[in-house]
Amino acid sequence: MRTVTTDAIALSNVLAELALRQLPCGGWAALASSSQPAIEPTCYAALALGSMPLGDIERAQDFLLRTQNPNGSWPVVPGDDQEGGWVTSLAVMALRDLVPAIPARLQGLHWLLNCSGKESNWFWKWKFRTADRHVRFDPDKYGWPWFPDTVSWVVPTSFAILALNQVPCSCGGLERIPVRIDCGIQMLFDRACPGGGWNAGNGVVYGCPMGPHVDDTAIALLALSDQGQHPVVQGAMHYLEGVAPTLTAPWSLAWSILALAAHRRPIASLHDSLSALSDLSSTEDTGTLAMVCLALDYSRALSAFGVIV
Amino acid sequence: MSVTRRDFLIGSVALAAGTAVTAPFLLPKYHYDQRPKRSRVAVLHAEQYSQKLDHHLSAGLRLFPIDVTGRTVVLKPNLVDYIPGDAINTHPLLVLAAAESFRRLGAKSVLVAEGPGHQRDTQLVLSQSGYEQCLRDEKIRFIDLNRDELIRTPLRAGYTGMKDLWLPRTVLEADFLVSMPKIKAHHWSGVTLSMKNMFGVVPGARYGWPKNILHWKGIQESILDLCASVPIHFVIADGIVAMEGNGPLNGTPRTLGKLVLADDPVAADATCARLMGFHPERVSHIREGSRFLGNTSPTLIDQVGETVASPTIPFGVVPEFRYLQPL
Repeated sequence: MRTVTTDAIALSNVLAELALRQLPCGGWAALASSSQPAIEPTCYAALALGSMPLGDIERAQDFLLRTQNPNGSWPVVPGDDQEGGWVTSLAVMALRDLVPAIPARLQGLHWLLNCSGKESNWFWKWKFRTADRHVRFDPDKYGWPWFPDTVSWVVPTSFAILALNQVPCSCGGLERIPVRIDCGIQMLFDRACPGGGWNAGNGVVYGCPMGPHVDDTAIALLALSDQGQHPVVQGAMHYLEGVAPTLTAPWSLAWSILALAAHRRPIASLHDSLSALSDLSSTEDTGTLAMVCLALDYSRALSAFGVIV
Repeated sequence: MSVTRRDFLIGSVALAAGTAVTAPFLLPKYHYDQRPKRSRVAVLHAEQYSQKLDHHLSAGLRLFPIDVTGRTVVLKPNLVDYIPGDAINTHPLLVLAAAESFRRLGAKSVLVAEGPGHQRDTQLVLSQSGYEQCLRDEKIRFIDLNRDELIRTPLRAGYTGMKDLWLPRTVLEADFLVSMPKIKAHHWSGVTLSMKNMFGVVPGARYGWPKNILHWKGIQESILDLCASVPIHFVIADGIVAMEGNGPLNGTPRTLGKLVLADDPVAADATCARLMGFHPERVSHIREGSRFLGNTSPTLIDQVGETVASPTIPFGVVPEFRYLQPL
């Protein structure tokens, strides 16, 4: 793979903008015009700023620790119902390097292990096998839902696999991690689009093959970085390599760079395209801004997501 | 026959238990009757998407006593995903025409707001569907409802059993909310029109993509709870090129050549359903909506513009919804 020279100016500009958007509470809002902190953009921002001498990463980590639910999960926004949601995986990863956060991360990991798509229950499994067959999928292969009491989807499953993969050992009540990861991987394979890649998780509906989405595909590929030989992964790589050079939307382009880098594919031209996008710093969506930072500094980003290249 | 104290007690307990079990099914599930005394619907003929839509729509809006002077107007199109050649989304030229028309009517600001239900990359859908350039050229602000500020909002009907939903501030604070659906058949709900279009206000960041909670709670029920809680002030439905069959994504484009304007979403959807060749009272959210949200009876609807004529061949639907079509 050709070495990519980070466009230092582009990266420092977006990092500076990201740091400026940090709210007094330590978190980040989803949109530049908003003052409501949210967990998803905060996690991306914390991962992007990492060890950078910008922003107040400690305040961000404090914010995440403060907002954890009593059951170990994280809410989408502070004040949300305390049942938790898909952002728990992101919070667990964003707190990875913080030693005092180990108990909170462990609680989060236990919550993830106890959370699964509704189709994991025998009753819903039976319903999806007999009465509700318009969406083609195998209910024996389940992952994680966006939030409890709904079925598994590609993005929350991929993030949960990434978070659980960061655990160094399967002990202390975490023995089920390998089984859950494997089941999640099988679920991702099962939900792939027939033409390659993934969308939210509906590969075939009413007998009609559905098309893939760039970001869903890239996030799944990131979670499957050690499954490069599997035909489903190769099909998804083929789709992503074809579509990525045409992208001008920074969110999808950033995720594509990370996914392709995780699978040791050439990314230099994509990296150049991302750096060259005009007005990156004025991007309204703060999660996108943070993802751009991560993609422009992709080696560190892959490490933050626990992906070894 | 004498009734003992014991018989009386048993009878009373049985009656109380029976009432407790049956009452939830018999009591209305809506808290307020929001129906207007009369509704107005205009069906306009429009052959194609062009710059002329602006004048056409302005003329149509003049058929209604609308006052948006000094108010914030939020246009909520149906922007789901992008598949080349498909009639999935409300056409951007119609949204531009609406924005221009409301500006001319004196609106303080006009925003376009949507939370795509399938695509997480909203900017990508905006760009691929032609919205990004149009909105930029006309300096119209777009709000991504999937990521807007969230406010916990009590639901004003009880069809789903949910007490509240987290909904976007932009929509809740709009002075004048315009639902701009694409007229489509839908494989889960039969049709997707101005009421179903409100699924787009449910934030993906909170509820996921697709907005799965609404499917689990019942699509028809969710439509009713949402429309009771987030009032639609006006409807501009895009039926120039509509969709039949396996909508909302994989159906077949069908030229209808119509725009439907209305000051009542239930009346608008009933009219659209008739234009599709369906019995509106067979669409359960339209039928139930007519009990508290708006009117479906032609006697309560002032029809202006063209007459509503059903097509010779009704819109195609998936087999589960064939009952919508005339026998």
